[in-house]
Amino acid sequence: MSGKTIIEKILSDHSGEDARAGDRVWAELDLAVVRDFGGPNVVLEYEEQLGDKPVWDPQRIAMTFDYQAPAKVVQVANNQRICRQFAVKHGVPHVFDVNAGVGQHVLLEHGMVLPGSVIIGTDSHMNLLGAVGSFSTGMGTTDVAAGWATGRLWYRVPETIKITFKGGYSYPTSAKDVTLFLLSRIDMGKTIYRSLEFYGQPIDSLSLAGRLTLASMVTEMEGKIGFITPDDDILAWIGGRAGRTVEAVVPDKDAYYWEEWEFDIDGLEPLIACPDRPDNVKPVVEVAGVHVDEVFIGSCTNGRLEDLKVAAEVLERMGGRVAPGMRLVVTPATTEVAMEAVAAGLYETFITAGAMVTNQGCSLCTIGHHGVLAEGDVLVSTGNRNFKGKLGKGSLAYLTSPAVAAATAVKGEISLPE
Amino acid sequence: MSKEFVFRGRAWVVEDDIDTDMIYHGSYLPLTDPKEMAKHALEYVPGMEDFTEKVQAGDILVTGKNFGCGSSREHAVITLQYNDVAAIVAESFSRIFYRNAVNLGYPILEVPGITSEVETGDELEVDANTGLIRNLTKGTEVRGAPLSGLEKEIMTAGGLFSYLRKELPAEE
Amino acid sequence: MGQTFAEKALARKAGLEQVEPGQIVTVQPDKLLTHDNTAAIAKIFREIGVERVARPGINVIVLDHVVPAATEGHATNHQQTRRFVAEQGITNFYDVGVGICHQVLPEKGHALPGYVIVGSDSHTPTAGAFGAFAAGIGRTEAAAVMATGEIWLMVPHSFRIVVKGAVPGGVYAKDIILNIIGDLEADGADYRSVEFAGPVIEEMSVASRMVLCNMAAEMGAKAGMVEPDDKTRAWLKGRTDVGYEEVFADADASYERVMEYDVSDLSPQVARPHTVDNVVPVTQVTGTRVDQAFIGTCTNGRLEDFEVAAGILRGRKVAPHTRLLILPASREVLLVALAEGIVTDLVSAGAVVLNPGCGPCLGAHEGVMAPGEVTVSTANRNFKGRMGCKDSEIYLASPATVAASALTGEITDPREFL
Repeated sequence: MSGKTIIEKILSDHSGEDARAGDRVWAELDLAVVRDFGGPNVVLEYEEQLGDKPVWDPQRIAMTFDYQAPAKVVQVANNQRICRQFAVKHGVPHVFDVNAGVGQHVLLEHGMVLPGSVIIGTDSHMNLLGAVGSFSTGMGTTDVAAGWATGRLWYRVPETIKITFKGGYSYPTSAKDVTLFLLSRIDMGKTIYRSLEFYGQPIDSLSLAGRLTLASMVTEMEGKIGFITPDDDILAWIGGRAGRTVEAVVPDKDAYYWEEWEFDIDGLEPLIACPDRPDNVKPVVEVAGVHVDEVFIGSCTNGRLEDLKVAAEVLERMGGRVAPGMRLVVTPATTEVAMEAVAAGLYETFITAGAMVTNQGCSLCTIGHHGVLAEGDVLVSTGNRNFKGKLGKGSLAYLTSPAVAAATAVKGEISLPE
Repeated sequence: MSKEFVFRGRAWVVEDDIDTDMIYHGSYLPLTDPKEMAKHALEYVPGMEDFTEKVQAGDILVTGKNFGCGSSREHAVITLQYNDVAAIVAESFSRIFYRNAVNLGYPILEVPGITSEVETGDELEVDANTGLIRNLTKGTEVRGAPLSGLEKEIMTAGGLFSYLRKELPAEE
Repeated sequence: MGQTFAEKALARKAGLEQVEPGQIVTVQPDKLLTHDNTAAIAKIFREIGVERVARPGINVIVLDHVVPAATEGHATNHQQTRRFVAEQGITNFYDVGVGICHQVLPEKGHALPGYVIVGSDSHTPTAGAFGAFAAGIGRTEAAAVMATGEIWLMVPHSFRIVVKGAVPGGVYAKDIILNIIGDLEADGADYRSVEFAGPVIEEMSVASRMVLCNMAAEMGAKAGMVEPDDKTRAWLKGRTDVGYEEVFADADASYERVMEYDVSDLSPQVARPHTVDNVVPVTQVTGTRVDQAFIGTCTNGRLEDFEVAAGILRGRKVAPHTRLLILPASREVLLVALAEGIVTDLVSAGAVVLNPGCGPCLGAHEGVMAPGEVTVSTANRNFKGRMGCKDSEIYLASPATVAASALTGEITDPREFL
């Protein structure tokens, strides 16, 4: 029999079986996470099904409040409280409250995400943690409640598609463009429910922030997970956070790949996903000049320091002020990112330019907060979803990189950075 | 499975790529009571704004490709369940929605080509055991792949918790 | 016979030599302040049948209540306001993110000594700190002012409150005004113009004077004011090219009541749920568990408030069960707070720093409580359900008291930390 792919190795390791694509296995969980959306549902389901029964392992449960941080309506305030009370009752120590930021990023910063781990959470973008080689996936209420009870979940082992990139690109093209490019080229009929492994020079040269961007939109590709093998620098960073040395899970040399795809991205130009789908991708030049009412820079896809820095630099270089009537909302992913951004003078740049810098969290993306759109409004966002009406009924949303978003904020219309 | 998984009802047809925000919008995520959730089913699907008023128990939802793409919110399944939509037949399901439906014991069936065989209002007979869909109004038939393996066991048990209680008593 | 400030200011505006309390005068206000309710006011304005705003230059419109928009309803509301502004050629329009209207008004040079200002918000009296006669009016009246450019006002009776003594450490403007309101009660200055005077007032910064005038509304006052002096002039320098003529009460003016307060023995004060006049010394409520602490708003959202709070919180951490929300009153305040490192201090302590706006104060957005929870806040109102949840409690206090309470997780006398 041939060797194993990354997902086969991880699921074999966690199930004690020889897990191969197509098999169903029960895998041990390393971490089961809830947000303040989904979280209260999980708590209520758990209590309904199991009453006061202790959870399988309080140390391997975490809660992160980022959907509405802080709460905007009483129901959410109550939901957050329900979660906190459950944590106290069951001795769950890892509660990252409304001052922490986007859940997956917070967990990563706190050393709770290791390569080769199996993690579940009540958010479909859990799988951005594939950027560090963790098999993290979004699950519904029932799955997570069952996970809290038993510490295991059923999985169908996905087939793996090996995706190799080649070629080089230069600023202002970035990881987001590579991601949008891939979205526009893949056959979602094939990527659905698959594990993707990314290789090639362009992938190797991505920073952690860039890898998080690419991995986050595997969700939009309908993939189960997308893995980027962490390099030594990233392994050292994770190790530093986790307080121990960590190793990457690499596929066997003779691993069987269901398909192998190659993409040449030499000279890739800046791209933008047009309404109403993330894969409706065009070169920015093709839609330049479209009037824009609001720009959002942030999200689990592009909310790290690197993203904010790029945006701030573009703002400064292009005059330091947003266009008249332009609403620019900037949201750092976590407290750590916020503090670094403050120290780097980015807040000053954004605020002086006329932006609103909000507190860390999911912000606009979950329509929990911060910049909901009116009918007819046009938004340019660095987020990952632009389905019809998601961010306000009757609005139109484009998805792009922080650089293009910042340039658009200055000009008031879709623009390339100068 | 059993004859519990044979349904007969009126079809509602929606197009490809209906994402979870259209099935159950993000602004309703704070709700935890299924009956409240049911009030907002398909609210953001163009043309379906009055679905919850017009839907009848036993109706069957027929969809294009990639139904339920987007978020992992189980609310999207619950909102349809609590409107007594008997089953969902899709060209294809997005994977998290598919999984959530299985875990809730909610009958689903993937049938490529189904949307060219059905119009809203057609009377359908859906057999989730065999995968056979009969369009009683048009007098046509089409077949899809029924659930099998572990998914079938979980669905038949009535959902993940029921399955865990029956099949793995040691886990309690 | 001498006239009080209100009598003089209104007489001058009405083109009269003298007026007396109870007299109705018609004046052309220097400024009309409206905020997120502009869309509703514009609707009434259109129903009157008038096409053009009479004096577009007097309109000051600030979007501040739910910023950026947090629901489709709010987004649409903002959109309607923007259209109205564009259609009417209103230049003094401050879109989302600039700040709270009562802070933005003076910052942009629209609150000047001798001015008569009306606004569709009960805290319009805040501008009285600049020696203006500033009063709140209803939406219909505001629409009428838009249509006609003038308003009838009944000349109020005047109180003069003289504050003297040595201000003890840990006692601030908020404590002084809470003490006065507790004494006079919620309707004690009903429809009065309240003049704050005396050595303590003269020593106060302009920001502290704004606290007094802002809170005057909570004892029913029509207007509150402090005479302009060098501090006022220094604060206003560079903010306007418009000349202004200061107005002072005559030394022999006749007041309905003259009160003296000696603050030498005053201690930090707290307004208990659920009325602003339910005021007691903080020592009577110390130990009350606090779920949320809130420093900001038009009452106490200025730099000096955050400096005091940061002084207490620097190098320490907020109690684990307490959420601390920071709400700067304007972009200008936030920029200085950033430059001084105050934002870093507060975020390091665990605070959530929100973008400038009204935020949680009125329960529409950010920071709503769950049933049974308690917030200690620097805002100006604590009525049942004010912050969005009927089954919750709000205590009002100074920034120092709120900061100290955030640290310990229970209502705390700030003097323990000073």
